[in-house]
Amino acid sequence: MTRRLRIAGWLLVLVASLLFPLVFTNPATLSIALVTLMYVGLASSWNILGGFAGYISLGISAFFGFGGYAFAITLHAFNVQAGYTPFAWLPLIGVLTAVVAIPLGWAALRTRQAVFVTVTIALMLVIQLSAENLVSITGGATGYGFPIPNWSAAFYYKPFYYAMLTVVVVSIAVAYVVRRSGLGLGLLAIRDDEDKAEAIGVPTKSYKLAAFVISAGLAGMIGAIFAYSVLYIYPQNAVDPLISMGAALMAFLGGAGTLAGPVLGALILAPAQTELSYYVNGQLYLILYGALFLAIVRLLPRGIIPSIGDQLRSRSSRHVDLLEHDGHHVEGRVDADDVKVMEGVRE
Amino acid sequence: MNGGLLLGASVLGLLLGGIYGLMASGLALTFGVMRVINVGHSALVIAGAYMSYELFAHLHIDPFVSLVITMPVMFLIGMGLEMAFLQHLREDREQFSVLVTWAIALGVEGVLGYFCGTDLVQISTNYANSSFSIGGVQIVYIYLYGFLLGALLMGLLALLLRRTTFGWSLRATVLNRQAAQLIGIDVAKVSAIAFGIAAAMAAAGGALYGMLNTFNPGSWYDLIGDLLIIIVLGGFSSVRGAFIASLVVIMFQEILSVIISPTWADWSFFMLLAIVLIVRPSGFFGVKTREA
Amino acid sequence: MKQTFCIGRTGAAALVISALMVGLSLSVVGGGASGAASKSPITIGVSISETGDFSPDGAADMNAYSLWAQLVNDSGGILGHKVQMKFVNDASSTSQVVTNYTTLLSKDHVNFVFGPFSSLLTIPASEIAARYGYAFVEPSGGSQAVFNRGLKNVFEAEPQAGYQDMLSFGDWVLGLPKSERPKTAAYATEDDPFIGPEVAALQAKFEAAGIKTVYNKTYPIELPSYAPIALGVAQSKAQVVVLGTNLPDATAFTQTFIQQKYNPLAIDYASGPDQGTPWVKAVGAKNVAGTTVPLGWLPTLSTYQNKAFVAAYVKKYGGNAAAMSTDAGEAYSVGQVMAQAITAAGSLSNTKVIAELHKLTFKTVQGSFAFNKQGIPNGHVVLGQWVNGSLQIIYPPAVATVKALFPKPAWGTK
Repeated sequence: MTRRLRIAGWLLVLVASLLFPLVFTNPATLSIALVTLMYVGLASSWNILGGFAGYISLGISAFFGFGGYAFAITLHAFNVQAGYTPFAWLPLIGVLTAVVAIPLGWAALRTRQAVFVTVTIALMLVIQLSAENLVSITGGATGYGFPIPNWSAAFYYKPFYYAMLTVVVVSIAVAYVVRRSGLGLGLLAIRDDEDKAEAIGVPTKSYKLAAFVISAGLAGMIGAIFAYSVLYIYPQNAVDPLISMGAALMAFLGGAGTLAGPVLGALILAPAQTELSYYVNGQLYLILYGALFLAIVRLLPRGIIPSIGDQLRSRSSRHVDLLEHDGHHVEGRVDADDVKVMEGVRE
Repeated sequence: MNGGLLLGASVLGLLLGGIYGLMASGLALTFGVMRVINVGHSALVIAGAYMSYELFAHLHIDPFVSLVITMPVMFLIGMGLEMAFLQHLREDREQFSVLVTWAIALGVEGVLGYFCGTDLVQISTNYANSSFSIGGVQIVYIYLYGFLLGALLMGLLALLLRRTTFGWSLRATVLNRQAAQLIGIDVAKVSAIAFGIAAAMAAAGGALYGMLNTFNPGSWYDLIGDLLIIIVLGGFSSVRGAFIASLVVIMFQEILSVIISPTWADWSFFMLLAIVLIVRPSGFFGVKTREA
Repeated sequence: MKQTFCIGRTGAAALVISALMVGLSLSVVGGGASGAASKSPITIGVSISETGDFSPDGAADMNAYSLWAQLVNDSGGILGHKVQMKFVNDASSTSQVVTNYTTLLSKDHVNFVFGPFSSLLTIPASEIAARYGYAFVEPSGGSQAVFNRGLKNVFEAEPQAGYQDMLSFGDWVLGLPKSERPKTAAYATEDDPFIGPEVAALQAKFEAAGIKTVYNKTYPIELPSYAPIALGVAQSKAQVVVLGTNLPDATAFTQTFIQQKYNPLAIDYASGPDQGTPWVKAVGAKNVAGTTVPLGWLPTLSTYQNKAFVAAYVKKYGGNAAAMSTDAGEAYSVGQVMAQAITAAGSLSNTKVIAELHKLTFKTVQGSFAFNKQGIPNGHVVLGQWVNGSLQIIYPPAVATVKALFPKPAWGTK
């Protein structure tokens, strides 16, 4: 794909997302669109650490939940009235979540690969447990309410949709900037071979932590908007392992490590998941969902975007965009990847 | 603080730790041999619990006796799952294995829910509540049997790993998958068998879990977090480490439950994890491995 | 099971009969425009947790709701309309509950909605219903948080708000002759938004009456073992034990007590002994005697339509009456409340139905009750106890079916 085509594609998607609520006005459709956007944002922010650096986190809902709680508590503490003003507080929530993520990330990132995956699961449980136990702050298991905006049923999801869209655009933009920066190249190098990256002078520790913290801050804002739209937050809906898993699965489906992959994966899977649950028997839903996943991993192990990239490449090997192609390396391609990183550094 | 209570909780924690060790060791084994994080391991435990439950409820076979049926069946199921879904994973298998095993777990939950329903059940044998007293501490038979079963199976596994050719191949695979392949070990076969063994251990763990707890197909969510943390503390790929870590961790938790409070015991569980990560990221017993 | 409840092609005869039965009032309300023959069915949407955390209760709810619809249709429907249930699955997830109820209301345009069982899903769902001006009658979301949100459309179809459930046990114990009255009590409760307050209310009542608290712990719902807490309770040697449990931990506590040979004078569970056969199976038939639990509903009650409901339930889903969970009775009551409110309103307008919900006294399988402004029911739950192998009412005396066992027989003796 040429650069111009790509930009046109992104613009098209953006315009379509902006117009969506004007065309599809049904609140049911919008509520599904909101959940979809939430996953687009989560998968994209997950991608900054999981895709670029190859550090698979299954704990993104820890920060999603933290953001939700921080938002509810802040609105209450400053007596912010329901309506649009709460959205103005979102950047603060993002920063707050990011700050909290620093020590957590520092501890978690002392591990790699499988241990890291597990530690992120533990992280999620810690946040959930804190929400349950710090009763005087969080309301404990009973949960915490948001101020209720006085919007009609027909209008209700629109403000949330646009707020979420804003954060999603920010997430993708941040991912893009990170990708194009030295940080991004460093993260790719870490994914390919962390020891080697360190040897050639990539400050791996601070790069990984930066990715972790950025990703957490974005997830915090997304969680805040979602919790506000639900109007009620409690430990189980704030920190839900299924949300963590969903975000990671969507990123993988589309192609972890690419910019468009997580977006595409979420656009496909989030509505499918919601609709499937609505129309299909619960047990069958689980079986189908599981089977779908096995099929994806089996047939498109590197995700949709990298697989398409391969197709295009095999057709015209001349026009390879080295930076766009960065799916997971498969056997026998290690050298090609090294070349890629070196090419990137040279740029 | 009541001394008897403390002693009681320690004994209980030790026995329960042995049972958790049985479940956690399978998880460590799969990771060690196959580089697969099996988040579906606890779903296999629940599947094992349901098998024992059905055999007990309909054919009145004692859950300890029915292990001779459930363990081989789960062994085959485990091998089948490995060959069908995990064998083809090559590079990045640690990451992808999370997705694949998660999908398997959802499938298992769905199938169990479809056939067995979602009501909570428990394997209630007539000796479930019998206990005896030693020095003022009531020892519950079922916990004791569970612990003994765990110790027995762990012993057998150790024998298998240390004294047989298969065990040698398996340990070689744990140390270095590629090198093992180079020296002529059929890594694919070893992996499938190892997964089968882990599934069989899960079946045994499941029978015990089903006697001690009420469960339904969704119970695997509750279990997997605990098991994963135990194996992190145990050094991830070490079977022995997993077993010892679960003894330590569960005892620690049970004791804290009685001396502070159960809610804060959970907290300190994670604090323990944090401390271990900071001080010794390779776990209590971890050998220095690539990923630690 | 498919989510729609197919009523099939209704024969003309059935329609004529139903038209006759519901009578004149309908034609008045119907504005004369449509006769019974062309009346569309009343659609009622419910989100059910078929999988996940809340799935154990989902099944009983769905059974009771579908049975209610079937029985209503057999007797001619409501205002001449047949009732059609639409069940959708939320997999115990909040985001799914939100999209489910939004879809039911804005896309499927169901006439009414019923609440989910899953207590924690009740709040987000009730907010959506409120936005659409829909009545939201729910079977068991009884925490203060549900009622304190200023919503005018939420009603809990139980005799008493959930958080007051355990007080009947307090009344019974404090009504004992002074010489028999216990002096010490132990409390252990799940960290649960609905059960915690029940236990706290009872504890306050006991402490005010001079019963000393010798043990008091709150524990997280998911623990590797409940035994250490149960051990703590046993070691406290309290004369009365109050447990804020559901079936899994109720079972675990009881088993530990039996193993420890600890026999308090009385034990009250928030839930557990009310689950029928699963309770007997879990702790053993010899051990159920004397266990008490607050009851909104029992298969043996002689309340409104209860006999017919129980018989039909057993016929349709198998098992026996004693095996029925209280969830089924609670869910069935939701249907009864709504049917009476719609009939009284004489209209399918939710605004009118909500007005009736605030006004009327409802007859249900759980007894009669009305709702206050917040939607809190004003009845009283009764206290149940396992006596001679079945769950009986022991308090209040006016409705007691059997003499209470006090002190509780030792484990294994009955």
